[in-house]
Amino acid sequence: MGELGTVIYEKRDGTAYVTLNRPQALNVYNLKMRDELYQVLGAVRDDPEVRVAIFRGAGERAFCAGADLTEFLTAPPPVVARQVRRERDVWGLFLGLSKPLIAAVHGYVLGSGLEIAMCCDIRLASEDALFGLPETGLGIIPAAGGTQTLPRLTGRAGALEMLLTGRRVTAEEARRLRLVNQVFPRRELFPAAERLASRIQGYSAAAVSYAKQAIVAGLDLSLEQGLELEARLGRALVRAG
Amino acid sequence: MAYATLVYTLKDHIARLTINRPQANNMLNQQLAQELEEACQRINQDDDVYVAIITGAGDKAFCGGSEESMSLSPARAIASIDRPVIAAIDGDALGQGLELALSCDIRFASSRARFGFPQVGMGIIPADGGTQRLPRIVGRAKALEMVLTAGIIDAREALDIGLVSKVTEPEDLAPEVETLARNIAGKAPVALRYAKEAVNQGLDLTLDQGLRLEADLYFLLHTAADRAEGINAFLQKRPPQFGG
Repeated sequence: MGELGTVIYEKRDGTAYVTLNRPQALNVYNLKMRDELYQVLGAVRDDPEVRVAIFRGAGERAFCAGADLTEFLTAPPPVVARQVRRERDVWGLFLGLSKPLIAAVHGYVLGSGLEIAMCCDIRLASEDALFGLPETGLGIIPAAGGTQTLPRLTGRAGALEMLLTGRRVTAEEARRLRLVNQVFPRRELFPAAERLASRIQGYSAAAVSYAKQAIVAGLDLSLEQGLELEARLGRALVRAG
Repeated sequence: MAYATLVYTLKDHIARLTINRPQANNMLNQQLAQELEEACQRINQDDDVYVAIITGAGDKAFCGGSEESMSLSPARAIASIDRPVIAAIDGDALGQGLELALSCDIRFASSRARFGFPQVGMGIIPADGGTQRLPRIVGRAKALEMVLTAGIIDAREALDIGLVSKVTEPEDLAPEVETLARNIAGKAPVALRYAKEAVNQGLDLTLDQGLRLEADLYFLLHTAADRAEGINAFLQKRPPQFGG
């Protein structure tokens, strides 16, 4: 992996820690962070020592407050932008990871920041976390999977309300909407994420990854096909065990 | 165009459809269904409409159901509106009336609103999309409970199960919905349409296909003037002036 500037990547005892690290700019997502995140996600996928990953934001004020809009003014033409996206598909890579991913979010979790959190499997939030998708107020729509991942968490109505109004949602409301799994006081957030990671690490890596696959892929299938997938993965684990 | 069972107004980019048969609990009949279909088409054809509100006249019902069986599908007509649609529900949303509400994107209700599918008690089933749209909003278990028991739930329970996203005192409903509609009308109209399309179409696709749809719509928006306006307005810390 090359030298990183906007993301910190650490490994301890089988857990990868991915820290969005532009605290002076509320960890806003820019092209450099995109390229570095792409490298880091590749490392999470390919490193056999990594069993689970925790995503968090540096500094006191934000997990990630969205994308760096100054870069949007110089965006390439749509045909080129689409091609670049196909060639370096951060979000496809993120959502395709078979290892369990935990987001521990605090402060502003807006736009791309919320989309990064929604690429993870389990979201823990501190009480001060504030969620929102401001894109339609900027003449755009979310493009890091948000229009697809959000309704799969909250259902159609909750997702449409957030997208169409750009409204900010508190941590407690996010929990009710099923956008986050659990809410903690700020100082307990990170220890809770580590406990969760170490608990998951205590289980068979294959079982954890197959369980994730059964649920994620199963939601794209008919119930009958999902049951077949589950049975196939279950048999494979029994044979391997 | 004047309607007999419907009142249609348009102001500040907000279209308002009021079901206007209060003496009959705003129940659907052939004429109302037909007028609803026409009004929905009219909204889709009018670039000046950024958001629509659907509500019922009087304080008894949003829409109490249907008076006669008909071949028209007013819930489908509402679902075909390509921009955001808000239901303001004060009173009963029962049977086909609930199906109309389910076709909207955001539902606000007053504390005296009631919801239910009485159809199975009459030997029929909800047939204007209710058996499909309800589980996509509240989940399978709650949807089956409502449809199979033909029970009626109050606004509080509707909020708990996610059937409505807000409950207000009756006198606060209209102002709250107005605030919501103005908020939405201040957003970029094409972005709103694409966001709605990405969510609604995306839920019928696999995640991978949905992501592709989202990205394609996003890149298409690069060609709209509102994108530059929205980003410049944000960077210059001024309110945007969207137009399309």
